[in-house]
Amino acid sequence: MSRARPMLSPEILALLDRERNLSSLPATVRGRALVRARAALVAGVAGVDRRAVPAPAAPARWAAAAAAVCILSIGLGAAAYEVRARLARGPGGRPTALAVEAAASVEKVAAPPRAPLASAPTARLPAAAARVDTATPSHVSAARTELRLLRQARAAVAREDYADALPPIFQHARRFQGGRLTEEREALRIMALVGLGRTAEARRAAAAFCARFPRSVLLQAVSQLSTSEP
Amino acid sequence: MTHVRIVAPPDSLQTADAACLAAFQKELDYVYRSLRRLGTSPSEVDDLAQEVFVVLSRCWSDYDRNRPLRPFLFGISFRIAAAYERKRSREVPFGVVDVDDSCPGPDEALHSKRARSLVLAALDRIPLARRAVLVMHDIDGVPMREVASTLKVPLFTVYSRRRKARRELESFIRRFLKEADAR
Repeated sequence: MSRARPMLSPEILALLDRERNLSSLPATVRGRALVRARAALVAGVAGVDRRAVPAPAAPARWAAAAAAVCILSIGLGAAAYEVRARLARGPGGRPTALAVEAAASVEKVAAPPRAPLASAPTARLPAAAARVDTATPSHVSAARTELRLLRQARAAVAREDYADALPPIFQHARRFQGGRLTEEREALRIMALVGLGRTAEARRAAAAFCARFPRSVLLQAVSQLSTSEP
Repeated sequence: MTHVRIVAPPDSLQTADAACLAAFQKELDYVYRSLRRLGTSPSEVDDLAQEVFVVLSRCWSDYDRNRPLRPFLFGISFRIAAAYERKRSREVPFGVVDVDDSCPGPDEALHSKRARSLVLAALDRIPLARRAVLVMHDIDGVPMREVASTLKVPLFTVYSRRRKARRELESFIRRFLKEADAR
């Protein structure tokens, strides 16, 4: 290794020449990538996980935005503190009627009345709990969770550990019924079922897939899977 | 009296989205290969390619159509791969990374006699900043000035990185070949 030789040797250049030729991706990988890209567009790019990757054209924009957010949040915090202090003090230093009313309304919001909840039918409780559960995560965290679950499933299918692939698939189906990666999840489900030898279920799932996603780029792969023997 | 006729605006967003998707589809092989060259493990390539698309669609309006798309895509891929590498390095002490799908090792590369695997194994041992310059210039054939502008580093730094990266690449490949001969 010499300092005075920056050029590559012909042998290495030949290796780089081979590396320069791009091989085509398998059809399933290509299909999956395009399905995801389309899903991201349909869902709106704003709702998709971006992990704060800076755009190459504007490296300093994020710093300005962060500074603006900081200044804004400090201002809002100070204003909220001032309003709260005024409401609590009132003109004579006592709590005003407005403050009492505000406090009561806050209490009402924070703790809903117990009696009607207790007397409500118990069947409503799981639905309410589910509503709270689904409303809490933001778009970004939901997108990340979707990706994480399907990554687990895909990794299990790739190492032919089909039994391990099903739990994350079921979890995804439970949490994201109309998720943006539903198409990919159903394709993975079919792969896992075929791998486990559950042919009848795989055929049913494949038929449902064809009906639900008639224009899917994964359709051909799914049809081949469901007709093949494990 | 004037009449104002309300005309629906052209659906520019959809057109832009479609153009972005078509460009991504056309360069999909390149995006995947670039991510692999930048050290992304096979199990993560899908997700990172998706992130590349998301960033591409976000800054599609910034892309100058008169310039080639690949350096632009490589710039995005490089930033995403760098973020991924930082995350991966943070996760290593906790033992939560996938261990089964790292870059092909030199043994595997030599036994299978695949030049591409050999190059990939050697690239994987070059630090990312230098590797990006080497890949962009020596594999993708991007001029040095454009490499500097895409990676947002001074031209002198790019030359320096290329020189070091070439030495490292040559050294690693020779070492792998020597190890193979010794067996």
